[in-house]
Amino acid sequence: MPPTSATQPVDPTSGGPGADWAPFKPGPWVVPESPGFAHLLAKLPGLPAVVFAHRDLVFSAVVRELRARFQGTLLGWLWPLVYPIFMFGVYYFIFAELLQVKMPNITPEQKPAMGIFMFVGVVVWTGFAEGVLRAGNVIVENGNLIKKLSFPTELLPLNVVLVSLTTMMFGVGIFVAVLWLSIAGRELGIFETALWPDAPGIGLLWIPVLLVVQLLFTYGLGLILATMQVFLRDTMQLASILVLTWMFVTPVFWVASEKVIPGISPYLDTLALNPLLHLLNCWRHVLMVAQPAIAFDGQPAFLHSLGVFATCGAVLFVVGYLFFLRSQRRFADEV
Amino acid sequence: MAGINYGVEAENLGKAYRLYASPFRRVVEAATLGRVSGHQQFWALRNIDFKLRRGSSMGLCGANGAGKSTLLKVLSGITAPSEGRLRLNGRVASLLELGAGFHLDFSGRSNIMLNGVMMGFTRREMTARMGEIIDFAELGKYIDEPVRTYSSGMGLRLGFSIAIAIDPEILIIDEVFAVGDMYFQKKCVDRIYDFKRRGKTILFCSHSLYDIRQLCDEAIWVREGRSAALGDALFVTNEYTSYQRQHIDDASRALEAMVPKASGFADGLPDELPQVRDARVYRLGTDEETYEVHTGDAIEIRVWWENPDPAAMPIHIGIGFLRQDSTIAAGVGTHIDGQRLKGKSGCTILCIPKLPLLAGQFLMPIVLFDEGGVHRYHESLVPENLMVRARTKDVGLVYIDHGWDLDGAHPLPGESHVPARKTPAARR
Repeated sequence: MPPTSATQPVDPTSGGPGADWAPFKPGPWVVPESPGFAHLLAKLPGLPAVVFAHRDLVFSAVVRELRARFQGTLLGWLWPLVYPIFMFGVYYFIFAELLQVKMPNITPEQKPAMGIFMFVGVVVWTGFAEGVLRAGNVIVENGNLIKKLSFPTELLPLNVVLVSLTTMMFGVGIFVAVLWLSIAGRELGIFETALWPDAPGIGLLWIPVLLVVQLLFTYGLGLILATMQVFLRDTMQLASILVLTWMFVTPVFWVASEKVIPGISPYLDTLALNPLLHLLNCWRHVLMVAQPAIAFDGQPAFLHSLGVFATCGAVLFVVGYLFFLRSQRRFADEV
Repeated sequence: MAGINYGVEAENLGKAYRLYASPFRRVVEAATLGRVSGHQQFWALRNIDFKLRRGSSMGLCGANGAGKSTLLKVLSGITAPSEGRLRLNGRVASLLELGAGFHLDFSGRSNIMLNGVMMGFTRREMTARMGEIIDFAELGKYIDEPVRTYSSGMGLRLGFSIAIAIDPEILIIDEVFAVGDMYFQKKCVDRIYDFKRRGKTILFCSHSLYDIRQLCDEAIWVREGRSAALGDALFVTNEYTSYQRQHIDDASRALEAMVPKASGFADGLPDELPQVRDARVYRLGTDEETYEVHTGDAIEIRVWWENPDPAAMPIHIGIGFLRQDSTIAAGVGTHIDGQRLKGKSGCTILCIPKLPLLAGQFLMPIVLFDEGGVHRYHESLVPENLMVRARTKDVGLVYIDHGWDLDGAHPLPGESHVPARKTPAARR
C-alpha cells in the first residue's frame, strides 16, 4: 500500500506543520497578453541590472565561446593573433607591393598606408559583421536551451557580440603592438623606416567609448535579426547577402575621397548616411592618428562621426531591444 | 498567519500553438498586423485549473503527447500561457530534460558552475554550493571528466543535485528519474520528502504511477490537453490505470485484425502477387503437427507458397520468431542463406534440428520478400503460436550451447606469468 493516506495535504488554515513556514512573497501573475509598449519601455533601464545579475553567465559564456573556438587546435590561443597578422601580410603584399596602389601626396615611408588603412577596416568590419550574423542566428541555434531552461534569452545575442568584439580587440591590439615595434625599430636604427610615421598614443583612450557604441549598434541590430529569424528562417539567409553588400558600399577597401577615386564626389553625401562609414572613420582616426592626411581627405571629423554613429547605435539598440522583448515569450514555441 | 498558502496557482490555463501552413502565411499575417490570419490554432493545453498548497506535491500522469510537458513548460516560465493565468510564489527550479544546458566538452565541475550561472547565480554562490552538489551527486572521479562521457544516469545525478542545491521553493521535474539507479532514486525521494517538510512545493511528471502514488499528495491526469482527473493521487492514478487497461485491449484487438493469419487467407488476395498459402509446424521428418515443443526439440516449419510469375518476381521466404513481448528472438531467410525458390508454387521446409528458444510463446511471422529481401509481397503468421517449454533453468531468450571448465589456471591479465597447466586456450 503506497503511503498516500499518510501524506494527505494538511489544511493550511488549521495550524499544522505549515504554521512556522515563512510567508512567501506572492509572485506576479503570469498572463497571456504580451506586455504593452509602455511596460516594455519601462524594462529598458533594467537591462544593465539583468546583465549584472547574470554577469557570471555572460562572462563564462564569452570565455567558453572563445575557448571552444581554439580548443583542440595546435596553436590554441595564438589563433586570434595569427588571423590579423596574416591578413595584414596579405593586404600589405597585394595592395602596397603587388598592385602598387598609390595615394597621391604620400611619402615613400608611408607606402604601407593602403595596407594599414584596409587592415583597420577589415578588423573592425569583421568584428561588426561576425557579431551581427552570429547574434542573428544565436536564438535559433540555442533552441534546445530555450525550450528547456528559463533564463533571460536577451543575453545570448549579447554574448556572441561580446565574443566578436573581443576577437576584434585581439586584432586591434596586435596592430598597435606592431606599429609601436616598428617605430621603436626605426628609433633604434634597426629599420630604415617604420610602417607608420606616428604611433597611436593618447587617442587610444577613445577605444572604450568606441567599443560601447559599437556594442550598442551591433547588439541592437543582432536583436532585431535574431527575433525575425525565429519566426522566419529566411532572415539570416538574406542578412548574410545584405551584410556582404554592405561591406562593399562601406569604405573598407577603398577611400571615399575625390583624390583617390575621381568622380566619387556626387555620391559622398549618400555614402555618409551609412553609419558604418562613420564607425570605420572613428577607428581609423584613433588607430592611424589621422595620418597620412590623404586617408582622411574629405572624411568627417572624428567627433562628428562618433556623434552620428553613437546616435544610430542608441536608436538601434532601443528599437532592437523592445522588438526582442515583445516577442521573447514566444521563442520557446517557435524554435 | 495570512501568508500565501499556495505554491502554485493555475487558473483556467491554456496553451495554443500557432500552426502556419507555410512561412508565406506568416509574412502575410505580420504584414497586415494580424488582420489577415494565416494560422490555425492548436490547443495543446486547455482549462487547467488547480491550486497546489505549499509543502505538497503534485504528480502529472498521462500518455505521450497529452500535454504534460507543455504544462510543465508553461509552469516553469519557459513559454507563456495563451489563456488563463498562473502564479508561482517563490523561486522555481525546473529540471525538464537531462543535460539541458550542459556543455558536453566540459567537466562535471565546470558544468555545475555553468548551469548555476544560467539559473542566475553568481560564481561565488555556486562555489559555496559546489561541495554539497558534488557530495550529493556522488560521481567520484567522474566529476572532473567531460560530461560527454557520462551515462544518462550520471547526467541525472548531476542535474538533480544542482536543482536541489539551489534550494528552490518550487521544484518542477519532468520525467527524468527513470534513468537513475535504485540507490540514487532513493536519495532523491528522501530529499523530496525533506523538501516537502520544509514547506516547498513539488510538481512532478512521471510514467511510473507507483512513483506518483509514493511521492505525491495530489495528481492530475492530462489527456488531450485537458485535465481528465484531478485530486488525490491514489484516486487519479486509479482512474488513469483503468482507462489505460481498456485502451490497451482496444489497441491489441486492432493489431490482431491487421495481421492476417496464413491459413485459408489466400482467397482474399489478388492472384497476381506471390502469396503464402499455408504454414505449419511439424516434428522434424514426421507428419506430426505440433505447437507445443521443448527447448532442444527437432522441428520443421513447412510453408506452402504460390508465385504466379517467378521470372518477373523471384521471391524469398523469411521466417521470424517473435516472443509475445515483441522481442525478435531470431529471423531467418532464404535470401540470407543464398537459397533460390523455383517454380510457380511449392512447399519450402525450414529444418531446425535443435530448437534453441527457451520458454515462452512465440509468434512466427512469414514474409515473402522480393529478390533483394527488401520489398514484402506478402506477410502472414503461422496460424498457431509456438509454445516452448524449457527443460533446464537457463534464463533469457535462447539456450546457449555451453560447458564449464572449473580448473582454469590462467594468470590475471597484466600480472606476472604463472606457469599454466596445459589447456587448449592457453596462448603464448
